[in-house]
Amino acid sequence: MSLERTRNFSIIAHIDHGKTTLSDRLLEHTQTITEREQQDQLLDGMDLERERGITIKSHPVTMNYVAKDGLTYKLNLLDTPGHVDFSYEVSRSLAACEGAILIVDAAQGVEAQTVANLHLANAQNLTIVPVVNKIDLPNADLPMAHRMLEDILAIPAEDAVPASAKMGIGIEEILEAVVTRVPSPKVIGGDDGLLRASVFDSLYDSFRGVISYVRMFSGTLKRGTSIRMMSTGKIYDVKEVGVFTPKMTKRDVLESGDVGYLIANMKSAAEVKIGDTATESQRPAPEPLAGFKEIQPMVFAGIYPVSTDDFEQLKLAVGKLQINDAAFQFTSESSAALGFGFRCGFLGLLHMEIILERLRREFNMDIISTYPGVIYEVTKTDGSDLEVDNPTFLPDASQIEEIREPMVKAFILVPNDYIGEMMQLTMEKRGTLINTETLDDTRVMLTVRLPLNEILVDFNDKLKSATKGYGSMDYEHDGYEPAKLVKMDVLINAEPVDAFSSIVHTTKAQSRGRALCAKLKEVIPVQMFKVPIQASIGANIIARETINAMRKNVTAKCYGGDISRKRKLLEKQKKGKEKMKMFGKVNIPQEAFIKVLKSGD
Amino acid sequence: MIRHLYIHVPFCHRICPYCNFYKHKPGATDQTAFVSALLAELDFRQHTLGIPIIPETIYLGGGTPSLLSEKHLASLLSGLTSRLDLSHLKEWSLEANPATFGISKARLMKEHGITRVSLGIQSFTPLVLQTLGRDHSPKEATAAYNHLREADISSVSIDLMFSIPGQSLKSWSETLIAATSLEPDHLSAYNLTYEEDTAFFQQLKSGTFSADGDRDADHYHHASRHLTKLGYDHYEISNYAKPQHRSRHNQAYWKGADYLGLGPGAVSTVRPHRWTNIPDTNSYIHRQNPTHETETLTPTDFTLERIALLLRTSEGLPLKHLSKTPDIPSELATISKTHIILTETGRPLADEIAVAIA
Repeated sequence: MSLERTRNFSIIAHIDHGKTTLSDRLLEHTQTITEREQQDQLLDGMDLERERGITIKSHPVTMNYVAKDGLTYKLNLLDTPGHVDFSYEVSRSLAACEGAILIVDAAQGVEAQTVANLHLANAQNLTIVPVVNKIDLPNADLPMAHRMLEDILAIPAEDAVPASAKMGIGIEEILEAVVTRVPSPKVIGGDDGLLRASVFDSLYDSFRGVISYVRMFSGTLKRGTSIRMMSTGKIYDVKEVGVFTPKMTKRDVLESGDVGYLIANMKSAAEVKIGDTATESQRPAPEPLAGFKEIQPMVFAGIYPVSTDDFEQLKLAVGKLQINDAAFQFTSESSAALGFGFRCGFLGLLHMEIILERLRREFNMDIISTYPGVIYEVTKTDGSDLEVDNPTFLPDASQIEEIREPMVKAFILVPNDYIGEMMQLTMEKRGTLINTETLDDTRVMLTVRLPLNEILVDFNDKLKSATKGYGSMDYEHDGYEPAKLVKMDVLINAEPVDAFSSIVHTTKAQSRGRALCAKLKEVIPVQMFKVPIQASIGANIIARETINAMRKNVTAKCYGGDISRKRKLLEKQKKGKEKMKMFGKVNIPQEAFIKVLKSGD
Repeated sequence: MIRHLYIHVPFCHRICPYCNFYKHKPGATDQTAFVSALLAELDFRQHTLGIPIIPETIYLGGGTPSLLSEKHLASLLSGLTSRLDLSHLKEWSLEANPATFGISKARLMKEHGITRVSLGIQSFTPLVLQTLGRDHSPKEATAAYNHLREADISSVSIDLMFSIPGQSLKSWSETLIAATSLEPDHLSAYNLTYEEDTAFFQQLKSGTFSADGDRDADHYHHASRHLTKLGYDHYEISNYAKPQHRSRHNQAYWKGADYLGLGPGAVSTVRPHRWTNIPDTNSYIHRQNPTHETETLTPTDFTLERIALLLRTSEGLPLKHLSKTPDIPSELATISKTHIILTETGRPLADEIAVAIA
């Protein structure tokens, strides 16, 4: 089919605004998939995705659609992950398209994520097909949705297609709009015919190795082609090419404008870099397609086996995970408190949670993770720079000229009534207000610049509770900023416990230290002696608690009939003691670490 | 040779809500048959064990041995005397509860060789006795004590309990004063323990009762101070004795001596074996071999038991039971060349310390 009759597009939406339902309807309407298969396909997805109602891994699909002009069009729908952790992947998927359907909920209107997604789509110069979804809802407010499209997103309201994906309303109109409004695929490099295929996603299959999802921008790709990945310079022989119908279907050739897959002899996900350009090794394109970046983890945490015996097993597990998730990084580290484990890098908190869940479920690992942190840039007094992702490696304060922390630009939508609360939360989180935009009579959009570290754990929860659930937020990364940051240590019985060290802002050190000491006092079992718990910055103690000594723990009666029971109890307690993470003379049980590391503050 | 004999008499008037020993109301149990069964078990053990039983101590526990009628008590005691070589006997104890015997039963005990009676008074506060479900009054307790003295039992011990829900330190102190004013030769002061399968445990779980670690410690230390001041030797966590009045039988348990237990639910240890009799009086009466469960003790098991039990005593734990001399702070224990002995601060932490050094 010709280039003129091909359309490549994505669907972007705020969570729960109906992206998946609309995708399903499009597939159904074009008879790409029957209702029955749809159910099956749904069940094939990862449990985690369905539980969280989000798409983690994107699956492109090719549909054939007979338009009103009587011609058959090839529509390639590229699904995109719906979370900011994966915004680079989203940007690569969007770069493989010429258009995007932007869904707005007819009852809820524009949300923060809608704005963030539109920014991403605009950055790729995509043609936007606005769709106002869920018009069948009793509380649907079409004029409101239209007004918001115009006011917030600067999209003409008359362009919006009213629809209800659930009821099957407006599906035909949406497909027509894609055909008539979205341009046919652009070709890069004029008529030079050189191969340029952009890898916008990949999948690891234990039998076939890495399957790269590609958008063809020029040239042709077939079995036997010798390709070079332009970022790594590595050369591979193509074993197979094909398209998604929606199942992977082998084809002889992929041509300019096509969306499909290629399989070469790549053994791990790390060999293929999202956003990389595949070209012919013998006749390479002069330069790669624009927009490629090395993925950098933004969030770091230590992962440790609960039982030290499981270290080797955990090593195998994280290695296997990395084979199919190149964004996940790890290096081995050891902690005096937790033993041997791994310092891991993640794209964001959701990504971290997914990895932890997969380790627990798929690999059956009993693990704990340390408090998540970000990566800091440090300039030392001797002029050298280093990056620190683990508080343990922060140089002594006397050697630090400047520390810079990663920032985000957050788009926060709140009802007018909660602006005060939101501003307070922003201040509490060391944010600065960049812009306030009135959306309508009831809502505003705040653009706020915040340290990433401040929104890592509980920001979204606090936002929700400050706005009674009405507020929503999305964000993008926004460079580094110098800040007054210090390393805070925690000393238990006068010994520092590395797992509880953190890098904190000076204005927050005391409250954080107090909260941490109080929490530790709650979870560390009473010992046979008095145990001081202290938070310190350098030599300064900034918070302190004391666990009073245990006074009595002894069985009342021990006679002839009680001895076996007594011995068995002692054996059990002894085993329990082996499981505990020993530290100095204070036994800090695993549960205590978990409770503190989970508690957030 | 087996030098220590325990005999379990499982009958109680009332079932105390904190007790998890094997016991029941006498009901329709034929006491004559029960006494015969005990003596039959002794015959059976003498025949099957292949080791001489020459007791230095005998202990009749329960349940409530003093609940046996004079006739049955006499037949049990004389049955034992006629079957055993008592030439080495140094102590013959019997557990008794107030209001289950009078002067005549007390005299009968004395006549049949009982040298030591442990009297389950528990408290001199009526309200606390009520909480404990005991059916005697403080007055009856004193009367029972006086019967034993009048019958010239050579060593009389009083059992008390502390840290009972509703019991203040003042009330515990008054009980201690009342008990010591009787000048018993020996006192056992037990912290109330919430044992599984008891009514108290249920009440603890449901929140009616609450455990109070501070009250436990306060009561414990008060008893220890009060009793040692009066000349009682605090020779084990829960036990206090005037000179020459320690319980030899219980010390034998702690040191790891072999002992034979007769009766339903009774435990015996003849190294390397330990067995428990069937905890059912009716089955016990009708069985020739009442052994119910047997375990084999390894040397490690034996060592662990010594650590668990001897740390509790004023003699302390011989260091030979430990692979290395432990590093215990001096406020918790003193370590001599041969023994580790817990201090007054360390003693109530004996279980904790046992885990740390075992």
